[in-house]
Amino acid sequence: MESPAPQKVAVITGASHGLGRVVAGFVAKQGYSLITMARGEAHLSAAARSFAAAGVQVVSIPGDVSLAADRHRLVEAAKQSGRIDLLINNASDLGDSPLPALEKASRESFLRVFEVNTLAPLALVRDALPLLVRSHGLVVNISSDAAVGGYPGWGVYGASKAALDLVSKTLAAELRDRGVAVVSVDPGDMRTQMHQDAFPGQDISDRPLPDVTLPFWAWLLSQPPMKVSGMRYQAQAPVWEVPA
Amino acid sequence: MKRAELVFERPEGTFAHEPPEVRGRGRDDVRLLVTRPDGHHHARFDDLPQFLREGDLLVVNESAAIPASLPAQGRVGSILLNLCTRFRSDLWIAEPRWSAGKPGPLPVEPDEVLRIGSATVQLLAPYPGIPRLWFASADRPFESLIAKHGGPIHYGYTDAWPMDTYQTLFSRVPGSAEMPSAARPITTRVRKRLEEAGVRTAPVLLHTGVSSLEIESETVEAQAMYPEPFAVSPETADAVNRTHASGGRVIAVGTTVVRALESAWTPEGLRARGGFTRLFVNPDRGIHAIDGLLTGFHDPVTSHLALLTTFLGIDGVRDAYAAAIRAGYRWHEFGDSHLVLR
Repeated sequence: MESPAPQKVAVITGASHGLGRVVAGFVAKQGYSLITMARGEAHLSAAARSFAAAGVQVVSIPGDVSLAADRHRLVEAAKQSGRIDLLINNASDLGDSPLPALEKASRESFLRVFEVNTLAPLALVRDALPLLVRSHGLVVNISSDAAVGGYPGWGVYGASKAALDLVSKTLAAELRDRGVAVVSVDPGDMRTQMHQDAFPGQDISDRPLPDVTLPFWAWLLSQPPMKVSGMRYQAQAPVWEVPA
Repeated sequence: MKRAELVFERPEGTFAHEPPEVRGRGRDDVRLLVTRPDGHHHARFDDLPQFLREGDLLVVNESAAIPASLPAQGRVGSILLNLCTRFRSDLWIAEPRWSAGKPGPLPVEPDEVLRIGSATVQLLAPYPGIPRLWFASADRPFESLIAKHGGPIHYGYTDAWPMDTYQTLFSRVPGSAEMPSAARPITTRVRKRLEEAGVRTAPVLLHTGVSSLEIESETVEAQAMYPEPFAVSPETADAVNRTHASGGRVIAVGTTVVRALESAWTPEGLRARGGFTRLFVNPDRGIHAIDGLLTGFHDPVTSHLALLTTFLGIDGVRDAYAAAIRAGYRWHEFGDSHLVLR
């Protein structure tokens, strides 16, 4: 008999709602134990109970990814497990709702959105790097079509995600020698609270629920991470390419 | 395009129930309907070389069929679990069915457990937009279950035949849940005559899933698709581009080849590309990479029929299928062939 494979560990931020919750639940069903973070304690522990139904260990840590102390607690929890096979930087800040035109966007909003969407994912990779290196882990940074769109109102959020895309691509090149893979993923339009906040008062029921991305996650988590490192994927696109 | 436009009526008896070789006939002993801008031509399959010319390129699928139908036991009783798409050894998309002749969807719940021999399989979650398909995981590699328990996927109109029946001359890489059947009538004899006529072949790979989806959405283009692994090599991309540049025709052997080629198509021509595709070739998107299609006859309201409609136009399909029905052509994987040139 071969010895059983070690339990894989996934760290997922923003796991209490929307896309993060759906992805975390699906990752748990694939046998990963979870370490999750979100700001709302009640929602996070409710989500954790549903993840644990898959029979895996779930650690939930209420906190804000933009705060170094909270990130530290997250990485400490991962150290207990001794590995991070998957880090999904999903927690994001939309900025002001309704979305302001760039000429009206406040400096404070800009800084806050970049703190959460761009700097926190990078900081978390940095904090978790020894574990990621040891596990040959995969980092997934959640991007947006706003990163390339130029849509009116989406300038602050889109710029933070465009910067995150470049952070992802650069990190992929810089960490390749150490066996850590990095991809960015645009999940596409979905019916989530964040999307509703972007369009307050509008009917967004024509958008698909976040489970529309499950086929993509099944696929991505089945790829050898280094084969896809450096790629930017659209979860709802018709083709997911593995570079030659 | 509206779903209703892909509805057509067929008389009883248009299904081919068995491969021709079980009656001692050759695989190429089937009929060939040729649809060209100048009309329909009724021929035999081994007349194929006459309708092609020097410089044409046939693109074939190298994927070989695997015995992907597994008998399973669960809370709902004895069922079949037909594997569809492999993500990794312990994670597939699969279709639980009552039996070969009786489809689902089954009244199963997320996390429901099935037994296949001594193995445990879990239905993790339904596939979004296609209620009959599920993400399925197993406590051991599905490959071992396939080797031990698998039979060919088949449906109510035909029996399960030996696995050889489901391979073609070009089958090389195991992985298709069902036979990519368009190349089935190409025998060594036909291939030799194609070569003598100056018609070349080039391979692509697309591991096809469970059979053509019946479109359920009112608008054809809104239908969800499942992903399939594919690869178009640099050599084949080059052969396709050179064929087009020199005025030859690129002819896809089967809808799987069309999907692989279209997934690798760019406005600058074909490029080598691999990964997973769920590209839906439909009239909204159009078809770009091919000049001809050799295929079978497709069921009403399926994604394959939407693909054919994209190539031939809805009036062209109606006209060709009316001609095929009048002349008694036979449908399905062991049936007759249809060459469409435009």
